[in-house]
Amino acid sequence: MSLDTILFYFFSGMLLFSSLMIIVVKNAIYSILFLVLSFVMATGLLFLLESEFMSLIFIVIYVGAIAVLFLFVIMMLNIKVTNSVKDLLKYFPIGNFLGFVFLIEILLIIFESFNTNPYKNNFLFNFYTNWFEKIDSISDIESLGQILYTYYVPQFLIAGIILLIAVIGSVILTLSHKNIEVKKQDTFRQVSR
Amino acid sequence: MIFSMLIGNRVYEILIDDFEDITVKENINNLNEVSTILPEIFFGISLVFLVLHGILLCSSKEKNFPLIQMSIIKLGILILLFTFFLVCNNIILIESSFYNNTIVFDNLSISSKQCIIIASIICLLIMQQYLNDQKINSFEYILLILFAVFGLLLICSSNDLITAYLAIEVQSLSFYLLAAYKKDSVFSTESGLKYFILGAFSSSMFLFGSSLIYGTTGTTNFEDLKDLFFYAYPGNFFFNGFDGISQTFEINLLQFGLLFLIISLFFKLALAPFHIWSPDIYEGSLTSSTFFFAVIPKLGLFVLLTRFFQYSFYGFIDNYRYCIVAIAIFSIIIGSFTGLEQRKIKSLLAYSSIGHMGYSLLAFSSCTFEGLQALFCYLIVYIIAGLCTWSIFLSLKLKNKYIKKGNKDLSDFALLVKSNNTLTLFFATVLLSLAGFPPLIGFYAKMNVFLVAIETSMYFAAIVGILCSVISTFYYIRIIKTLYFEKSLTGKLYYPISYQNSLVIGICFFLFIFLFLNPNVLYLFSYKMSLIGYFL
Repeated sequence: MSLDTILFYFFSGMLLFSSLMIIVVKNAIYSILFLVLSFVMATGLLFLLESEFMSLIFIVIYVGAIAVLFLFVIMMLNIKVTNSVKDLLKYFPIGNFLGFVFLIEILLIIFESFNTNPYKNNFLFNFYTNWFEKIDSISDIESLGQILYTYYVPQFLIAGIILLIAVIGSVILTLSHKNIEVKKQDTFRQVSR
Repeated sequence: MIFSMLIGNRVYEILIDDFEDITVKENINNLNEVSTILPEIFFGISLVFLVLHGILLCSSKEKNFPLIQMSIIKLGILILLFTFFLVCNNIILIESSFYNNTIVFDNLSISSKQCIIIASIICLLIMQQYLNDQKINSFEYILLILFAVFGLLLICSSNDLITAYLAIEVQSLSFYLLAAYKKDSVFSTESGLKYFILGAFSSSMFLFGSSLIYGTTGTTNFEDLKDLFFYAYPGNFFFNGFDGISQTFEINLLQFGLLFLIISLFFKLALAPFHIWSPDIYEGSLTSSTFFFAVIPKLGLFVLLTRFFQYSFYGFIDNYRYCIVAIAIFSIIIGSFTGLEQRKIKSLLAYSSIGHMGYSLLAFSSCTFEGLQALFCYLIVYIIAGLCTWSIFLSLKLKNKYIKKGNKDLSDFALLVKSNNTLTLFFATVLLSLAGFPPLIGFYAKMNVFLVAIETSMYFAAIVGILCSVISTFYYIRIIKTLYFEKSLTGKLYYPISYQNSLVIGICFFLFIFLFLNPNVLYLFSYKMSLIGYFL
């Protein structure tokens, strides 16, 4: 077993485990943290597939933005921990049945779409190596960066300007001087509603 | 300017270093490429400097935290003037598009940029007094307006879906902030939130449509799209036949994407089925912001729409012709009938702007050179008329207890003729021109639109447009009646207008008379604009 396979099994196992834990764990904060863990594991899988850009975007967007947003929302809502064991027993048969059906469907799709090469261990297997790719290869991010910084310079600068406007706007909308009565939400009133 | 040239050189060096390909190197080897977007580069860099200047000066304790919004307005006008100078004196080049063909440099972009810059200079000049009255003491307001102008300039010269999207984002992000600027007013906050949600929705539709177009064709460039679909005119057997190009492209998916793009741009233009947001937002936000929303961005968005549908997807416009004409007529009807009910001047003007966008779309839908000429002619007249009405509206300040009351009813203007005769004359003339009365330029513009519609056999649309134009004349004339012949003894009292504002209003007014006597100026200018992709 090579290192790749070990890592693949580690990442996918952890991914399955953490995604299971998201729905099993009672505390909402813990389940968000498991969600983050599952995103990180998915990132690891994408890294193994050598698509670095996608994996880093995954981290930035899902962990950096969406999961943190969820966390804020959960902190603002006043959620009481409820006992869900009763519901679990009630919905166990139908849930299990539906899960089984979907599993079979997915397995069918997988067996239809992913064929192994029948000549894999045969002497007919093509051992051709593309030397261009071996010698002059650059990674995913590098090639994207080369295109971005050569062909799309003005667009890159405009994106910077957009971020500048966003910064200015958030300062304007949140910075309050003493005399002005700013319309903003009252956390106590909202929670006690 | 020197600084921007330095930045340009740096970009140029990076480009040279990274590339070994000879043809690309030859293309890059002229510094022309940087000079094409020199106005935008200059404008962007000076905006960043303006931000730094404002922040450093505003928060300095030694100078006792000065209020600098007036000086920032003057600096902004100066920057706009320099940019105008650069736009006018840009070096003429052999090729017409640059930066991997994402930025285009032709008559349409240059002329529309000139219009937008001049209109925003006037806008800033008029705003000065109003901002003082409303006690908006932060300089960021002007900065946001300048950023919006920057986005509009980029929209005019974009030749690529990515650039167009980014430019629209720059423009609309600053618009949301301008709408929500007055934090202590419920209306302003509400309208900002509404604008943000609806604007983000329409931007996401634009993004979805462009991703579908990229998915089916593999390019985002307008010129490449034009080359791909040049032969897609209806009835072309080689394109539409059984083994034509339509087999290689998913035409249906492409049209689906196009539909999304149309809808998102119509959303931004506030055309009739997508117009619900505009009167609300115009009513709620600061009047100076409303002035800016109503007058300036329409031209830029129409330029993008023209580039897209009259240039790159010209073959496909035939499938949408009925839809676009229906939208145009619908917005004309909405603009004329709903405007009858309005008691507040701001929402009345909002509905009138919806109607005017309908007339321009009617000219747009004809897809001929005359149609484009009529479109730009109409838009320029609309901008001038909008500048005039809104500046009169903005500079009139009621003498009453509620100083901050900015929202004027129709009855506030009763017998304005007794307190300010000349201004009333100007106002009445501009309103008549908006309605399309003969001795004014608005008549020519409207007549052009109807002539184009008749020439392209859209008789029914033309008739409906003319009838609705008559109906909408009613509410313009009602304002004039309120100004002159109201049956009350006294009208409201107003503060006198500042010298600067009166000068600007006067110039706008005399432009109407001049353009009627000599409409060739306008016709030539708009004809030059209608030649897309050419540089004379």
